[in-house]
Amino acid sequence: MSQRFKLQINQLPVVEIDAGSSLTLLEHLEQSGIEARYHCRSGFCGACRSVLHAGNVEYINEPLAYIRPGEILPCVCRVKSDLSLEH
Amino acid sequence: MRYSTFNQTNVNPLGEPMFFGNPVNVARYDQQRHSIFEKLIEKQLSFFWRPEEVDVSRDRVDFQAMTDSEKHIFISNLKYQTLLDSVQGRSPNIAFLPIVSLPELETWIETWSFSETIHSRSYTHILRNLFSDPGKIFDDIVINEHICKRATDISKYYDDLILHTQLWQIHGEGEVTVDGVTYDATVRNLKKKLYLTMNSVNALEAVRFYVSFACTFAFAEREMMEGNSKIIRLIARDENLHLTSTQHVINLWQYGDDDPEMKEIAAECRDEALAIFTSAVEQEKEWASYLFENGSMIGLNKEILCQYVEYIANMRMQAIGFEPQYKQNSNPLPWMNKYLVSDNVQVAPQESEISSYLVGQIDSEVSAGDFGDFDL
Repeated sequence: MSQRFKLQINQLPVVEIDAGSSLTLLEHLEQSGIEARYHCRSGFCGACRSVLHAGNVEYINEPLAYIRPGEILPCVCRVKSDLSLEH
Repeated sequence: MRYSTFNQTNVNPLGEPMFFGNPVNVARYDQQRHSIFEKLIEKQLSFFWRPEEVDVSRDRVDFQAMTDSEKHIFISNLKYQTLLDSVQGRSPNIAFLPIVSLPELETWIETWSFSETIHSRSYTHILRNLFSDPGKIFDDIVINEHICKRATDISKYYDDLILHTQLWQIHGEGEVTVDGVTYDATVRNLKKKLYLTMNSVNALEAVRFYVSFACTFAFAEREMMEGNSKIIRLIARDENLHLTSTQHVINLWQYGDDDPEMKEIAAECRDEALAIFTSAVEQEKEWASYLFENGSMIGLNKEILCQYVEYIANMRMQAIGFEPQYKQNSNPLPWMNKYLVSDNVQVAPQESEISSYLVGQIDSEVSAGDFGDFDL
């Protein structure tokens, strides 16, 4: 069985995703059914900014929007571990 | 301090703050203190477009079919955006270039302003197509009280910074009296004015455009004014990038990653900066009332538009370290997002869903009956 990561988004029930998923974190947020905030979907506007409480992500494109400490840009990153975040 | 177009003092650009250090001399990008600004330049250049590439000819027919209240909404928004981009096409250059100290930031400011001039040219492109004489529309921008009121608030911080910078350049550091009025032209006071100006510009890029954007995209949702909507999408993409740059500048100051004195000023002026933002939000809501004073349009009314302004304002405030001030946490206009996705912005008709492209298609179905009266 392939490895799964657990996503804890806001205070919602945990969602499980495939560890090898090629989707961005933003796409997973959308699939989980929450109202995702986004505009550019390519890392320069910062509309999707979220606070990462725990876990790791990997950027597939370099984010241009300012990322304050503790924040991530879900539109340009992939999930690399179990995550807990506030969107 | 007198401005020099080529400061011959040997300065290390890596040790300079963004503003109020030494004037920039060599435009070099091999070493950068804040490399983000060069990345923004590259992004902005990759976005390059010209209004003439977008076919707006079908919009004229759509415009004529609009109700009077819809025409009022459409034209008023264009006037307001013309004002915003008239200011933005020149002011970052005039206000920030004389005091900037990093080559990458200097070039970013020039690139940013230049892209705003493309926006200005596109309003003429749109209006020329709708009216044989668009003169009256432009003339009204400086007469219309609803627009003038906004113009004052948008330009006053810039104007104040520009005036104080000029006094400082001519008379040097200290108090200066001109025509009986005393001005505080100390660097500390200039930095304070710079901080407030940057916050005012940030609020402009962050919320002021979005009432017009929402109206434009609401027309596009009804498949009306699609040429115009394409242009506004390109403009919205640019504005989002400009907003990122002002957010970077403000955050670099706040976190003490640039000029330590600016960190102090950011803390000192926090309430004033917040007031600039909330007052921009209130003005945009007033603007929404003005737009809908003769009646609303399908898919949009004053209440929803005001909710959208609050929703977007919350997001933008958090980006520069303020608590969200409004209770609107969900997006009341979910369809707006698809117009703001940068990859969806395409110009050539064959690559997009513009309806005028489909109108030219012919019926290619041929049945045996079509040859019924055919003789050889």
